[in-house]
Amino acid sequence: MTAAQDFLTASSLHKAFDGAQAVDGVSFTIRQGEIFGLLGPNGAGKTTTIRMLSTVLQADAGDVTIGGFSVGRQGDEVRRLIGVCPQELALYPELSASDNMIFFGRMAGLSGREAKAAARQNLETVGLADRAKDKVDKFSGGMKRRVNIAIALMNRPRMLFLDEPTVGIDPQSRNHIFETVESLRDGGMTVLYTTHYMEEADRLCDRIGIMDHGRLISLGAPRELKARIGDPDQVTLESVFLDLTGRSLRD
Amino acid sequence: MPTVLHQALLIAAKDTRIFFKDRFAVGFSFLFPFLFVIGFTLALSGQGPDDSPLTITVSSQEETEAGETLMAGMIAESPLTIRQLDYDEALAQVESGDLDGFVSFPVGFTQALTEGRPATLEVVTGGGSAESAAALRSFADHVAGELAAVQNTYSALSLLGEAGQADLDAIDWSAALGSRDYAIRFEVETVGEVGPFNASNFTLPGYLTMFVFFAAAMSAEAIARERQTNTLERLMSNGTRREAIVLGKFIGASYRGVAQLAVMWTVGIVAFDIDLGASPAAVIVISALMVLASSAFGLLLASLVSSVRAAATAGVLASLTLAPLGGCWWPLFITPQWMQSLAKITPHGWANTGFNKLMLFGAEFGDVTQEMAALLLFGVAFLAFALWRFRLTAS
Ligand SMILES: Nc1ncnc2c1ncn2[C@@H]1O[C@H](COP(=O)(O)OP(=O)(O)O)[C@@H](O)[C@H]1O
Ligand SMILES: [Mg+2]
Repeated sequence: MTAAQDFLTASSLHKAFDGAQAVDGVSFTIRQGEIFGLLGPNGAGKTTTIRMLSTVLQADAGDVTIGGFSVGRQGDEVRRLIGVCPQELALYPELSASDNMIFFGRMAGLSGREAKAAARQNLETVGLADRAKDKVDKFSGGMKRRVNIAIALMNRPRMLFLDEPTVGIDPQSRNHIFETVESLRDGGMTVLYTTHYMEEADRLCDRIGIMDHGRLISLGAPRELKARIGDPDQVTLESVFLDLTGRSLRD
Repeated sequence: MPTVLHQALLIAAKDTRIFFKDRFAVGFSFLFPFLFVIGFTLALSGQGPDDSPLTITVSSQEETEAGETLMAGMIAESPLTIRQLDYDEALAQVESGDLDGFVSFPVGFTQALTEGRPATLEVVTGGGSAESAAALRSFADHVAGELAAVQNTYSALSLLGEAGQADLDAIDWSAALGSRDYAIRFEVETVGEVGPFNASNFTLPGYLTMFVFFAAAMSAEAIARERQTNTLERLMSNGTRREAIVLGKFIGASYRGVAQLAVMWTVGIVAFDIDLGASPAAVIVISALMVLASSAFGLLLASLVSSVRAAATAGVLASLTLAPLGGCWWPLFITPQWMQSLAKITPHGWANTGFNKLMLFGAEFGDVTQEMAALLLFGVAFLAFALWRFRLTAS
């Protein structure tokens, strides 16, 4: 087996808002084809990190390369490699699922025909092919989340950023999203997945970075992290977080 | 990556689709204005001289023969029905409400005129209808324009020594007035032809301007909402340029504005019998420039506010302040001078002045280039500000 290549390298990322450090010296690498989880409570700095990695927010300090391109100096090249699914439902509820996807696809440079085909394919991936023509407004929360993810696939990215994609949805949609993410990874996609649900990170991620107060306080495969404090089959990531911070993840 | 223009057009097309799915927005932009036009046209035409062609009452306080000749010349040359009344009698009729108003030539008017000194025309109006006041003003403007030309000719003659001493009685006023092909001359003719004053000729452009700007201001709210839901940021991470977003929003708002124009003017002509005047092309150009200025204004608002609520409030407040200031609710030319000056700080004011000149006072294309330039300047300034300050994210 050959050593997995690093696809994303972040070193010493810093970002302050009004003097308060939202991200305070975060470094990690993500290997090609893995699901990397950023686990941490609300306000830990996960979204701010994703926004810097995905070129929309300029870091105060630090470097990021994705697929060999510098986020700071080669933004256009980086944007061609990545698909971003924001924490909010960043879509147009007045439009149908497929019109949303076609719009974002064309904005990314697909022709009308390519965008249509890609929309069909990606709606199938998230299990919404039969609802393509329906207004997103009429969808359940879980279905909207799936459209939100499908839009991020429209520019055929090699790396996918998913920021808390399962917040506030039913278990069925959640399972559907897990399966989608796993099948994308099996197809070669590199994934950065943020969550504050530790079971999710445990089940889905190949490796996890635990964040708190803007810092990365631990990094490793779920089993490794758990083995540091006890029998990995017995302890949970919840107790790992408690051990590291003295607080519960759910606070 | 697609070009900025290509991306902008895609955004504009998407915004247009969303707009037409929003029944409230469509009703507000296309039906509301007509409710106002109908309401105010009815209100204003109820008190105007409905079926008689406009009669202008003039009164001369001059005792000189020159004054008499001037008056006679004017009456002979004007396509309007001009009635001459004694000053005191005219004043009494205005006071009793029998007369809406009259134009008076004060003592010494002709003398001042021929000596090259400022001569003042007096417009006396009662509490009568807006359109009578408008007609009187327009008539006085016309006379002033004609006489200024005569005055120039006369001064030139004096300088050459041909006229020597001011021999007032010797001037053939009728010929002097008739020989001038003066730009403002047409004003009076149009008023004369239109006969019964059609109030829609100023209510419709006024409310068109108001609602085009109102709809554009509402687009600021839509932009604020897109910031909140992160669609703009998503577009950026997708490779969309900031300028493409600003331009796309601008083009989208302009599409909607042009649709409003098309509907308003068409219905105005067909159902309200409005008259675009001597230069319909100029009306179209002013309308189009007004739409561009309004779209840029929406972006300006969007650049100034961050929350959706603030955008909504700012949009309504700005629209309801600028509309009356800019003469959308009543014709600017019946307002005091300071209000007319104040109107110049609003794009609405320039648009309405342009429409009034063209549709009420018979101006030609060349007479409204200043209004066109002003609207263009507003549009460019607003757009430049938006390009400078427009933010894609809420914080
Ligand atoms: N645009 C912003 N302006 C000011 N403060 C912000 C902004 N974005 C995030 N923050 C602050 O930075 C910290 C990290 O936030 P965030 O990255 O959203 O955390 P997470 O995604 O882990 O919940 C929080 O304290 C948050 O309030
Ligand atoms: Mg977050």
